[in-house]
Amino acid sequence: MNKLNNSSGISIPENYLVTPTYVFFLVHSMQVGVGILGFERYLVEKAGFDAWISILIAGVVLHIILWTIYRLLQNGGGDIVHIHKKIFGKYVGGFLSLLFSAYFLMLAFTVIITFIEVIQVWVFPGLNLWAFAFVLICLVYYLVSGGFRVITGICLISVVIGLPIILLKYFPVEAGHTINIYPVISHSAGDILAASKQSMLSFIGLEFLLIYYPFIKNPEKSKKWAHFAVFYTTMLYLISVLVTFVYFSEEQLKQVVWGTIATWKIVEFPFIERFEYVGIAMWLYVVLPNICLGLWGATRIPKRVFHMKQKPVLIVFCLLLFLATPFVTGRPLINSINSFSGQVGFYVLLYIPVLLILKTISDKVRNRHEK
Amino acid sequence: MWNWKRKEKKPSKKQEQTAKKSDTLSDFIKALGNSEDFVHYSLSGTTHCTVSYIKTISDLETLTRHVLPVLNDISFYTLEEMQQKIPVEHILITDKLDLIQEKVMFGYILIQLNEKDKEVLLIPAVSLQSRAVSIPEVEFSVVGPKEAFVETLNTNINLIRKRMPLPQLTVKEYNVGKITNTRVAVIYVDGIVDQDNVETVTQRLKDIEYDQMIDSSFVTQMIADNSNSPFPQLLDTERPDRVVSTLVEGKIAILVDGSPHALTCPTTVVEFFGASDDYFLPWHLASVFRLIRLFAVIFSVLSTPLYVAVLTYHHEMIPADLMPTIVSSRSDIPFPPILEVIVLELAIELLREAGARLPTKIGQTIGIVGGIVIGTAAVDAGLTSNVLLIIVALGALASFTTPVYQIGNTIRLIRFPFLLGAQLWGLIGVSMCMVYFIGHLIKLQSIGRPFFEPLYPMRINDLKDAFIRMPFNKQTERPVLMRTEDPKRMNQSRVNAKRDIDE
Repeated sequence: MNKLNNSSGISIPENYLVTPTYVFFLVHSMQVGVGILGFERYLVEKAGFDAWISILIAGVVLHIILWTIYRLLQNGGGDIVHIHKKIFGKYVGGFLSLLFSAYFLMLAFTVIITFIEVIQVWVFPGLNLWAFAFVLICLVYYLVSGGFRVITGICLISVVIGLPIILLKYFPVEAGHTINIYPVISHSAGDILAASKQSMLSFIGLEFLLIYYPFIKNPEKSKKWAHFAVFYTTMLYLISVLVTFVYFSEEQLKQVVWGTIATWKIVEFPFIERFEYVGIAMWLYVVLPNICLGLWGATRIPKRVFHMKQKPVLIVFCLLLFLATPFVTGRPLINSINSFSGQVGFYVLLYIPVLLILKTISDKVRNRHEK
Repeated sequence: MWNWKRKEKKPSKKQEQTAKKSDTLSDFIKALGNSEDFVHYSLSGTTHCTVSYIKTISDLETLTRHVLPVLNDISFYTLEEMQQKIPVEHILITDKLDLIQEKVMFGYILIQLNEKDKEVLLIPAVSLQSRAVSIPEVEFSVVGPKEAFVETLNTNINLIRKRMPLPQLTVKEYNVGKITNTRVAVIYVDGIVDQDNVETVTQRLKDIEYDQMIDSSFVTQMIADNSNSPFPQLLDTERPDRVVSTLVEGKIAILVDGSPHALTCPTTVVEFFGASDDYFLPWHLASVFRLIRLFAVIFSVLSTPLYVAVLTYHHEMIPADLMPTIVSSRSDIPFPPILEVIVLELAIELLREAGARLPTKIGQTIGIVGGIVIGTAAVDAGLTSNVLLIIVALGALASFTTPVYQIGNTIRLIRFPFLLGAQLWGLIGVSMCMVYFIGHLIKLQSIGRPFFEPLYPMRINDLKDAFIRMPFNKQTERPVLMRTEDPKRMNQSRVNAKRDIDE
């Protein structure tokens, strides 16, 4: 009994906590990132224009995983570091937690290089990578050093600013052909499931709950907001996919790398044309929470494992990102890094149910011993 | 090895940064004797005593009408007798040098029976010269009260008190400034205000280490949570009515003697865009005006950076029908957009600065000369384009719509980082600059309360009086920001009770 009390985890001072509602923004803004700009093509390669069904399936799977995460955290008392330590002991658990840290850092890195690639392809082909990476990473450092509350604020702003971009979907729908989606199911279940797995890659971001859970005030109440966020993301992806399908033909879409950006091109107002420039500039707001939360999570884990200060770790990680970013150029390399981190993310999501089972077993064993 | 890095910590003597203090009463009188306006003489009529006062700040009428006649009529042998007979209120008898010094410097008349005596009589004869209460000039409003604060603290507190005859209205006074010893008053409504906020404010006021406190803006800069921020974190106003309404909301007001501006805190960034006019107009009109003001500010900050970004990097964004207009206006201009913009923006800043420093009448002339003559001439000479001139002028105009002067200054300056961003990376640069400022605003705090408040942390209740002003019957609760002890403003069910038809 004493042991359980001791293990009730970490407590964060109340003025650093966020209310449960913000979990919606945290989860949603972490899920939506650069992926949504061009994920349609990968789906179409697998399941053709039936891929929208795959998105729905992926959404359902995500709800289940979210349930698992909450199950894990509610009884775990604390974050992933604490749970790892309890199940695997100090050294193995610490090592596994550091793997998570590396994974979060990799996610941040992936987002940075992909966003820079988008800028290079669509806006500035001759972008000075060193300068841009420096300014971007300084900005990220400034935000992350403000702590979790500031990052939450950026998430909120990002969702609010992202809202009008959704309205732009109206233009391609107006120009598209609804007939493209029919016939409804023309692919095998295997194809559709393969596309589901593919679409999971754009959905990753849930797993950050494992690290920021102690920062939520009344975490039980945040459950519905998290589910609502996943639902909202699924709907957003579904709409994006359907709009792109309506606008492009299947064969054409396979050639288009950035499906969503391509549909912005046709947006036209009396005072402005070629909306993709505005869209990409606004996309900075959507991308920043990914980078910031990624870096925050990546630096928070060493702090928890080694009980060291977070700021020096943050500086080191920022330097790493800054030194690595300018060397990663070219579509094939970036594509492979993206699919690699997607794969890792997929396995991380699969790892969570396994962790829950292990934890249940170890809790049972421990209880028996104590009796 | 690293010893040289470590600074030797000496037990630093607490520096008394006050002016040199006199040790005895005679020293004090001697020190004052160096000034021409110090009067010091002995009476040798019926009563033998010494009278000293500073004639420039003491009220001579009190002396000649009430004090001297009594002293000449009756012969006194003790100070107590004098205290009873002289028809002036609050006469003190003391031998405390500090108190004597403070009171004499404030305008009290000092009377000693003997020049060597330590015990003295202090008669209050303070003459307060102050400007008459006048019309607010910085925050003018067409309707509503037309009183503004003046430089005297007592008058200012009077202006507040007479609007709120409430015993709970508490005024706490502190002396700040080692040499000026300025009176600073902290005002709040007990029972509504959060005591934590009061404590923060008083703590910070007491911690101020500076020799002078000339104006309330000194306080703003010194007790701000982040004094390196371009955003003012305390709202300054010259309208007593505005102060009263913020006090009722549970805020704290700080008044500084000698400054015609009150500071209120905690504040939020949206409060800087609210004018007192907003509460004197019907709510829908007020809301529209507020939104116009907000739009004006965004326009003022972003218009020229967007011009630079689009014309330098993203010409494709200009629709074909609009293109000829811009091409024809820019075809003769030898400079790149950024140079053109910077020259014109600086010209406008020059005009503003010159206009602000000159007397009103000349200032207006300068504005007209500068605005029309230089502007037209610059376009004719082919130095700037017509389109840009319109944008810059509109941007300057829009920056004047902010009701609070302090934030207007901020808006004037933050467009320059945006211009830099636009020149570097076009729209993406502007976007990055914007993120920086949003992040900065999220980080900022006003007296420990979030500065970006109704937006983040998002509080629906406080949004009712942010970008739009909801009608009074919808604002049933005081803002959450202040964490007031008494959040209810009125009885909601009674206010919103609906009447049926024909009842």
